[in-house]
Formats: sequence, structure tokens, C-alpha cells
Amino acid sequence: MFADLKIELPFFKEKNSAMIATGFLKGIPSSPGIVISKALVIQPEIFISSNDKVSSEAIPIEIERLSQAWKDLNLEFKAVMERIPESNPGAVNILETNLLIIKDEYLQKSINTFIYEGYTAESAVIREFEKQKVYLLNSRDKILRERATELDHVKTHILSALKQRCLQYSIAKDRVLIAQSLTTTDFVNYKESGAVAVVTEAGGIASHVSILARSFETPAVIGVKDATGIIKNDELVIIDGFTGLVIYNPNKELIDKYQDKIEKIEKHRIALGKLAKEPAITADGRKIHLMANVDRLDDIDSANLVGAEGIGLVRSESLIINYSTIPGEELQSKWYREIADRIYPNPVTIRAFDIGSDKYVEGMPNIESNPALGFRGIRYLLSRTELFKTQIRAVLKASVNKNIRFMLPMISDTSELVKSLQIIDDCKKELSDEQIDFDAKIPIGIMIETPSAAMMADELAELSDFFSIGTNDLTQYTLAVDRTNELVSDRFDSFNPAVLKLIAMTAAAAARKKIPVGICGELAGHSAATTILVGMGITELSVVPAMVLELKNRIRKMKYSTAKKNTLKLLKLPDSYQILKILEQ
Amino acid sequence: MIIFEKEVTVKNRAGLHTRPAASLVKLSSRFDSEIFLIRDGFMINGKSIIGVMTLAAENGCVLTVRAEGEDAEAAVNEIAELFERGFGEI
Repeated sequence: MFADLKIELPFFKEKNSAMIATGFLKGIPSSPGIVISKALVIQPEIFISSNDKVSSEAIPIEIERLSQAWKDLNLEFKAVMERIPESNPGAVNILETNLLIIKDEYLQKSINTFIYEGYTAESAVIREFEKQKVYLLNSRDKILRERATELDHVKTHILSALKQRCLQYSIAKDRVLIAQSLTTTDFVNYKESGAVAVVTEAGGIASHVSILARSFETPAVIGVKDATGIIKNDELVIIDGFTGLVIYNPNKELIDKYQDKIEKIEKHRIALGKLAKEPAITADGRKIHLMANVDRLDDIDSANLVGAEGIGLVRSESLIINYSTIPGEELQSKWYREIADRIYPNPVTIRAFDIGSDKYVEGMPNIESNPALGFRGIRYLLSRTELFKTQIRAVLKASVNKNIRFMLPMISDTSELVKSLQIIDDCKKELSDEQIDFDAKIPIGIMIETPSAAMMADELAELSDFFSIGTNDLTQYTLAVDRTNELVSDRFDSFNPAVLKLIAMTAAAAARKKIPVGICGELAGHSAATTILVGMGITELSVVPAMVLELKNRIRKMKYSTAKKNTLKLLKLPDSYQILKILEQ
Repeated sequence: MIIFEKEVTVKNRAGLHTRPAASLVKLSSRFDSEIFLIRDGFMINGKSIIGVMTLAAENGCVLTVRAEGEDAEAAVNEIAELFERGFGEI
């Protein structure tokens, strides 16, 4: 199902045209949207040495130059801040932080110390920032290491101010910026002059450019190796901020294809109206995390478009369904990372392979007489630890930006969870020993889809970071109804009070431990179920992308306090007929 | 001179990155006392954003907050509370 994810890209040339070659570059999609326009390649700064010295008489002049540069920078930043709309808290935050760095007296004093040692103002600035960067680069934490780039940006600003450089921002009108990296004020200035998209060589999905691009709704692709060297000024480029693809010199076919895509996205936007940007909050202020279920990469774009706050469920077995064997660690990790990057900064929940039962995989003949009660989910994974470990390591490796949650399927007692956590810890230790980065605090949660798990929810909550209730399996196991069996499938009913009581028990246990509890099954999207689920204290709902807005609309209209009271009454009713009669009113 | 110290833990997941560092510096600057953060014997000035950022304090990391001055106790308590709340981004 993930056939549309091509990591290796074709590089082909037009046969009849000797001069123009279409080329493809792949980076990290960091702000969604598609743009077709001409490139503006911004060449990197010329190299300044950190060893330039001045005579002792010139020291006061250097001190004065630096002090003037600080003043200019202060004014420049304040001017830019005033032009940013308040509705852009992301951008304001970044600029405020830059301004704090510029105003930092201790930093200024420290740079002055180098000047007193005889260095030029420029060399002193470089020396001080290199010193500071070392501390950050030594951090064990990848995000903090990426922050070193922020220091570089402030350094660039000071150096430019020393040179009194004037960039001609106006040439950026309607163009795609191609740069090694962009400083905050440069980004804002270019954007205001009409730049339409951004491509940078520097990576880091949590970087300034990503945050700014998203808050300015400017498509951006980052981490494109040697972009400023490969793409020429004024060349036509296509930027796909959904997939991270950058196409230069596209042929007519590609231009038409992407024009179509742009039109479709526009239509979709208009149809959705403003709801996509509104939060999922009940009328009396309870926040519900509204997320999307995703089985294909295309679904992620849809999820982003409708304003889903993350991905509540990735069924990882859907990745392997087209393969005769289970892919190795590297390939799996690439998949997970691609999904995590595309939904960043929102979280994604990856569920471990739920193989077995109705999900037949080649190489694992399904000969059980009662597969739903058989060898599946966590039972299968715990008996195939090599396969399980490969997946855990792949997920951990993909978790560097700290937006991945990992979830275990079909837990039916605490010992399965304890064993799984031990294996996850072993994998973490291995990766640490190999000095591979991962999110050491990756949230580990479980599916609540067996009645035994719901009844043991308090004990399981002690060991879990979150719960996700799989209502389809929970219904089938609670009511002893195989929904693929026509003779009994009409008895399959998630509104049966027995099922609802188990869901309520699970939600209550989660609330006592203050962990998130979500629903990713079909019930989450059922129009009659929203009030009772929210009323039970469910904090996350995950549905197919197409359903997100409708559900958001319902949440925004309901009151949590009323739903909570009604839920207590509804749970006392004897059958689903009476429950539904009230819910559907 | 009053000296006051307290241990704090970085609770927000992304660690003491730019935004939390900025709120910490803003808060520290409101006090007359000198504010210091100490990690593994490495001490930085709590009113210097570059100092706070280069502490590179990741999630779970334990720091000592130290204040020297008339309002030292209030300063340490308020800063400790900011850490406790995870800078509002747990």
C-alpha cells in the first residue's frame, strides 16, 4: 500500500532537447503546499577568517564598530517584529529569541574580550560563537545539537551588520528561494517581498525555517543536498512541500500534472472553509485531540489539509502487506521517519505489526481454527523476538524528532506488557551502545481491545504512557461475535452497554493515572458516539482524514459537562436500542 | 548577602531549547539577584540566553538553580516552578 513511497528517484533527460534536463532532488518536507515558479539562488557568504588581528591602537575602533552593529541589529529586528502579524506566534517567538540573544550583555562582553586580545570585530564574533557552539554540539540531545544552527544565524546577522550589508529583498517576488540556510529576518524580509517557497540545504525539521515556513504557510523543503550548486538562478522549479520533492527544469507533462494538483488543493481548501484551522474544543472548553488514521502516505497530506493534530494510528502491517517478507530495519526506519517528518510537529502513533487472525501474511499460513482467539498481535511478536526487535529498533531510530509514539496490539494481560517493555529497553540499550540517536522517552502505549485488558486497565495504566481503544476487536471479543460470520454478524454492536461499560472503565483508569486515552476504531467516527465517548473522558479521537472536519464540527458544538452527566445515565440503560434512541435525538 | 539554591529537573520533552531558555531568561531578569544555573559543575549566568542555551540541558537533566541577592529565595522558587510546569510545554 505504500507503493507510492519511492525513496530512490529517477533522473531522466528529455530526449529531443540537448540543453534542458529535468532533474529531481529529494529533501525533507517541512511545510506543506505546492508551488511552480522561478528559482532565486542565494549564494553563501564569503569566508571570513577567525584569525584576523588589528594593532592595539585600532582596538577602540573595533569595539565601536561592534557596538554600532549591535544597535543596528536591534533596530532591524524591532522593525521586522512590527511587521509580523500577531496571528503568527511561531514567528514572533523566534524573533523574540533572536532579539534576546542580540541583547545578551554577557555575549557582548565575551566578544569584546576577544577584541581586547587584538582580534578584529568579525574574528571576535566568529571565535565567540564557535566557542558557544561547541557546548551545544556536545549535547547528547539531537534537537539541542540542531540549535547550533540558530547561533549561526545570529552570527550571520552580526557579521552582516558589521559589513552594513544591504540585501535586495525585492528581487524575491514570486520566486522560490534556494539557500544554504536562511536567517529569521532574511526569511521574513524575503517573504514580505513576495517569495513563494523555500528550499534549503540545511536540515532539521525543528529548525527555524520549518517553523517560519509553516506559520507563513509557505511551502518548504529542507535538507536538500547541494541545492544551491545544482539549481541555477531563474530556472523553473516545482516544490512539493507534501513529499519533499524538488523538480528543476520540469517538462510540460510534469508542469501540467502539478498544476492539476495545485488546483485540487485550492478547491479542497475552499470547500473546507475555516474549520480546518479551528481547534477541536467543546463549547465549554474541553480539548479533544483529533487525529487521523493513516494507511497510505497520501493520507498524511489529507490529514494535514483537514487540520488533524497528528496521526492516531499507523497500522504498520499495512506497510508489509505487499511484500512476501518483512522489510529490514533500515527500510522500515525510512518509512517511519518519512511519516513522522511529514506530520511534524504533530505526533504519530505507530502500532507494532498486528499480524495473524484476519490479517494474513505470506510465510505465515493461517491454519488456526479460531484465529481471532489465536496466535496474533503481541503474542506473535513476543514469540518472534527478532522480528519484533527489528521493528522496535526501526521505530526508535526514526524517533529523533520526538514526535513518534509506539503502540502494542492485542495486549491481554500485564505480563505481555512487562515482557514487551523489557525488549524495548534492551533495544534502547543496544542503540545507546551503538551511539545511535533516538527519543529516549518515546511514549509506549497499548491497544485496549480485549475485555481482559479493559478490566485490568488500572494495572496496565501503571505501565503505559497512553491507551488506545480498538472498538472493533473489543466489541467482537466482548459480545463473542465474529463479524465476518454472516450468521451472527448482525449482533455486532459497539453500542451494546457491555462494550460501552468496558470503554468507560478504561477511560476512568486512564484519567486516574492522567494518561491520554484515545479511540481509533470505527466507533470514533460514528455520528451518534461523539457525545458519549467525550462524556466518558476520552481525550483523543482518531478517524479517517475525510471524517476529521465533520467530527470537529460535532465536538465544537457539544458541551462536555452535559455529556458527562448524560453518559452516567446512558450507561445504566439495559440495551443499545434505548441508548441509541437518546444519542440519535 | 542571601544565597539560595534548589535542584530542578528539566521536564518538558524537547529539553531546555530556545523557547524555554527565553522564558527562563525573561523571568530571571525580573529579579535583582544574580541568578546561576549549575550543571555537572558547569555554571552559567541565568540572565544570559546564550548561557542557558549552551547548557544544552535535555529532558530529565537535573540542574541546580542558585540566586545571590536580596530576593534570592523568591527568585529560586519562581524559577523552580517554571521548570516544574515544564515551561508550559510538557
